[in-house]
Amino acid sequence: MLADLIQNTLDGLSIGAAYALLALGFTLIFGVLRRANLSYGAAIMFGCYCATWTHLNFGAGLLLLAAITVAGTVLAGAYVERLCFAPHRGGSMIAAMVASFALWMQFEELVTLVMPTHLYAFPALYEGAPLAFGPYTLRVDALVMFGAAIAACALLWGTLYRTRFGLAVRAVTEQPAAASLAGINLPWVYVRVFALASAIGGVAGYLVVASHGQITPMLGMWSTLKGLLAMMLGGLGSLPGAVVGGLALGLLEAHSQWFLGPQLRDLIAYLLLFVLLAARVPWMHTRSAS
Amino acid sequence: MDAYTIGVLTNIGLFSFVALSAYLLLVAGELSFGQQAFFGVGAYAGGIFTAMYGWPLPLAALAAMTLGALAQFLVGLPTLRLRGLYFAMSTLAAAEMARILFELLHFQREVKGELTGPDGTQGFRGIRWIFEHGIEPIDYLGMVVGLLAVVLAGFFLVERSRLGATLRGVGQDPELAASLGIDIQRVKLGVAAAAGALAALGGVLYAHHNTYIEPRNFDIMLGVHSLAYALIGGLGTAFGPLLGVVLDIGALEGSRVFHDYRMIVFGGLVALLLVFRPRGLLDERMVRWLRARLP
Repeated sequence: MLADLIQNTLDGLSIGAAYALLALGFTLIFGVLRRANLSYGAAIMFGCYCATWTHLNFGAGLLLLAAITVAGTVLAGAYVERLCFAPHRGGSMIAAMVASFALWMQFEELVTLVMPTHLYAFPALYEGAPLAFGPYTLRVDALVMFGAAIAACALLWGTLYRTRFGLAVRAVTEQPAAASLAGINLPWVYVRVFALASAIGGVAGYLVVASHGQITPMLGMWSTLKGLLAMMLGGLGSLPGAVVGGLALGLLEAHSQWFLGPQLRDLIAYLLLFVLLAARVPWMHTRSAS
Repeated sequence: MDAYTIGVLTNIGLFSFVALSAYLLLVAGELSFGQQAFFGVGAYAGGIFTAMYGWPLPLAALAAMTLGALAQFLVGLPTLRLRGLYFAMSTLAAAEMARILFELLHFQREVKGELTGPDGTQGFRGIRWIFEHGIEPIDYLGMVVGLLAVVLAGFFLVERSRLGATLRGVGQDPELAASLGIDIQRVKLGVAAAAGALAALGGVLYAHHNTYIEPRNFDIMLGVHSLAYALIGGLGTAFGPLLGVVLDIGALEGSRVFHDYRMIVFGGLVALLLVFRPRGLLDERMVRWLRARLP
């Protein structure tokens, strides 16, 4: 019993690390733009399919595939930013969200037209047996995922808290009007944050796909929903909140799947979000979001 | 008319109801990602009443609408005070819960020697009321269009009344509306119940048109589509959402040229259109302009 609990906790933390990365990307965009990017997951899926296509046609190493995933996601993100967010700055939040959803449909149809099979194999991060520690096992790819997530968080923290660009991002998040008056070029910050968030999403997408060893077009919706859930649970626009929300969602899912099965696992995650929203818990209603 | 055209037109009519429910909420200033849930409640409830208990369709539709209204009222009760993305996410969470509950719903009974009813992810087969009662597809289309006309007439009456002004006031400036003594929470709860009933009516008609429904018919894609229909058509008049549905289902699915690239064409058009008209084709200004020039 205790062994199961510990094993589930380990599994939950490793998938939670991927959720945390997805939530970080979402929350970065939300923090500066005050808009949810619904095609975030679709852009990640597009990046992963670019890598899959390269792998099928030319065969490529793991690192190169990771680089292509990130590059594809950033490219897709740039397209989304130009068409959905740049025209609606200071304008309608609903228009930006619906436009980003429209591009989600484009990405989904594009990948299914170019690669029509429902499921493609993706080179796995690690093929061997999982590591064993006494009664517990730890998948090597889960360990890599966790390590990469920590490294990405550290890099992001360094960028946001130790560079001039990071200072500008935080200033825009806190007080856009004052930041603009202080001479910060807002469009410049928006574009770079979008690229940064897309790159983080690309890393998360690569890790998820490579640890599953396969890819389907469902990845887009999956990333968007998990990223949104983790971001909301941790508090909109809060970076530490995104990490905590992602890990909490991973743990919640791992334990509820073990005790109640996969359908109830998803039900419980949404129920928790609904109840927390309805109860208006203070950490979810951050200043930057209201 | 050939069967294909009738099918496309019926679908346009069906999805107009759920697009109108998203529109109604948008007019009152709320963004919902979850109207598919109430569409689903209507579809399941209507199917259960006619196929399992032999109710006539009109009675089943009324009951399903009542349930849809009740469902959205209950979801709205704790969440309508939330703003913007918070409310949108709460509707998304509620709708995904509903979809999972449809997956868990196993409720079958024997009707004329045949097991009928929702069977979890296997879906719900045999909602055959319109075939058993000899209603031809063209007549069913007539029913859908007739109901849509009634609903639209209701919308126009409301838009011209004091209530319509109240709704737009609550949607565009809730603080000002509240300072004028309008009970915002009450207005929004009423809007939520009406939107739930509308979506449920669409669901009942959808279930009886298709004869088969399954939980994934009611996933987030439907919800965001209805929102997109309402927004691209325009937030100025109830014809807006209809125009949105016609653009998507009619012009693109109906014309077989674009069929393979439908989403790429439609998605690009929507994004571009919103750049120039962020409140849709028939937005408030366009509606005023048209009204001044039309007799």
